[in-house]
Amino acid sequence: MRIVIAEDSVLLLDGLTRLLTAEGHEVAGHTTADSLVRALSGTGPALPDLLVTDVRMPPSHTDEGLRAAVHLRSLHPNLPVLVLSQYVEQSYASELFARGARGLGYVLKDRVADVDEFLDAVARVSAGGTVLDPEVVTQIMARHPGSDLDVLTRREREVLALMAEGRSNTAIADRLVVGLPAVEKHVTNLFMKLGLPPATDDHRRVLAVLRWLDQNGSSR
Amino acid sequence: MTSADEAAPALTSGAALLRAPAARATARALAALAVGWLWALTAGLVVWVLVLVSAVLVPALGVGLPLLALSLRGARAFAAAERTRIEVQTGVVVPAPGRPPVGARRWDRLRDAVGDGRAWSAALYAFLLWLTTTVFFALAGALASGSVAGVVLAAAGQDTVVARWSGLPWPAVVVLALVAAAACLWGAAVATQYGSALVVRAARSLLGPSATEVARARALAAEQDAQTAAAEAHTARERAVELTESRSAAVSAADTERRRIERDLHDGAQQRLVALGVELGVARRLADRDPGHAVAALDLAHREVKEALGELRDLVRGIHPAVLSDRGLDAALSALAGRSPVPVRVEVEGDLTPAGTAAQAAAYFVVAEALTNVAKHAGARSAEVRAALVPGPRLRVTVSDDGRGGARATPGSGLEGLRGRVAALDGTFELESPPGAGTRLTVEVPCAS
Repeated sequence: MRIVIAEDSVLLLDGLTRLLTAEGHEVAGHTTADSLVRALSGTGPALPDLLVTDVRMPPSHTDEGLRAAVHLRSLHPNLPVLVLSQYVEQSYASELFARGARGLGYVLKDRVADVDEFLDAVARVSAGGTVLDPEVVTQIMARHPGSDLDVLTRREREVLALMAEGRSNTAIADRLVVGLPAVEKHVTNLFMKLGLPPATDDHRRVLAVLRWLDQNGSSR
Repeated sequence: MTSADEAAPALTSGAALLRAPAARATARALAALAVGWLWALTAGLVVWVLVLVSAVLVPALGVGLPLLALSLRGARAFAAAERTRIEVQTGVVVPAPGRPPVGARRWDRLRDAVGDGRAWSAALYAFLLWLTTTVFFALAGALASGSVAGVVLAAAGQDTVVARWSGLPWPAVVVLALVAAAACLWGAAVATQYGSALVVRAARSLLGPSATEVARARALAAEQDAQTAAAEAHTARERAVELTESRSAAVSAADTERRRIERDLHDGAQQRLVALGVELGVARRLADRDPGHAVAALDLAHREVKEALGELRDLVRGIHPAVLSDRGLDAALSALAGRSPVPVRVEVEGDLTPAGTAAQAAAYFVVAEALTNVAKHAGARSAEVRAALVPGPRLRVTVSDDGRGGARATPGSGLEGLRGRVAALDGTFELESPPGAGTRLTVEVPCAS
């Protein structure tokens, strides 16, 4: 598939390009947020199948990449975007996920070094799934005082965290080394306990979970 | 009463009173009275009589006025001599009054001379001196004579008129005569001392500065004190402002430094490590299907590791160079010069170790930043670094080059950061960089005490 990468470190851009090319993808690179936005704003050429962008980009080295991603998503709501961040920050995630979670990923840049994990994230996001870095999920969960999630068992809390990362039931079952029916049972139970509407779609489910965590977290 | 303390100790304590006839103070007072009496009878008498006569003559004859002015000038001269005499004979220092005003025109001069209050006081003093010394000299003389007479009577007066006239038995007359002699002796001593003390007191009030002058001098002194205090307060305030500024400069310098380190780590080592991870991942994935490419990826990864190590070494050196703590500033400066792309000559005078670690570190970073600037911006052919301890003691480093000049410590620049670092150590920072004529940076920091 066609992948556009925006990354100011030429070194890393080269590495990623080589990695994705070796995997059979067609890669185009940008080193500034400006050139990325210019390249993808027009309606001319067909959109890529995935955009991978760094948060921190020139000229100010703050959050140019993230703002470019938010802007491009508003132009092309169906463009899959995987955001790489030097450090994970809940406010960045909230900004990014404000308009939906379909085909959206937000992971710590260091995860790129775990090539299998990174390629998995690339595949899931480009397929319309959601990927949220476990560290972001930990941060969000940390905002909930114990009593809030006390209604859940330890297992259900683990399942909640993995759902928030954007994992499917099958992936959760693999990760926790349990059967698929057990995971499905946990999911039904925790949705009921938290009063969430049942959702079958993975990204819808992530959104519901995140909204619940966000609302209940910020109300304290 | 200091005049009494100094001139008449007999009046201040019983013990001194007991010793009065034999005391040195009495001899001194006697001498002062005797000389004062002679002086009053000659110069003093002339002065006050002249002043009196010319004053009386003023309404009668026109000639009285210049004569009066002249005699008052004379009274001033007499007062000056008298102050010296009193100081020599009694040790009491009478401060001189202010100089008499001198008018521009003859009439002004005349009027000022006649209106000179201190001169009139001096004339009055001349009269009082004559009166006091005469009375007390006579009194002391009479009492001393009485004392001698008493002793003579007791020794050889059995058949005299006095003894017979008294009608007392002879032993009683002897005792009475001796008691009277003693009383007269003590009386003479006390009168002498008292007379001298009176003269001193009169001199103090009449020959010294007038009450107005004293008040004015006191006001002047108070004003000077106030000015000194105000100046000190101002200095303290300025120092406080300076300290506040240097403290915030230090804080912002440290902050800028932390940002630089974070940026260096983010752009350098961290990126390299991520890229390294990617290369290794690629190599692992290609190991089976494409060993050639996998080896190429491993080569890249190897190069990344070496470069990351180099960057970390530079970064660590930027935080605190090991050579500085291990071998001192001298060696660290040589290391800096060795890394500079522009040829640098290093001249270190003597041993810099006494400067202390903080001063040496500051000097090191000044030179490091300055040499970086020389390499980046100056377009210089050569540069020179000098370091020496100067009196204070302070550590002075100078970095100069023959480049294009025009360097400025703009906010956010490395030079500005250095300025903050130096200010935090209470040092001075001087940048001379005229366009086209090279750059010279001189920094002095106080050594550790």
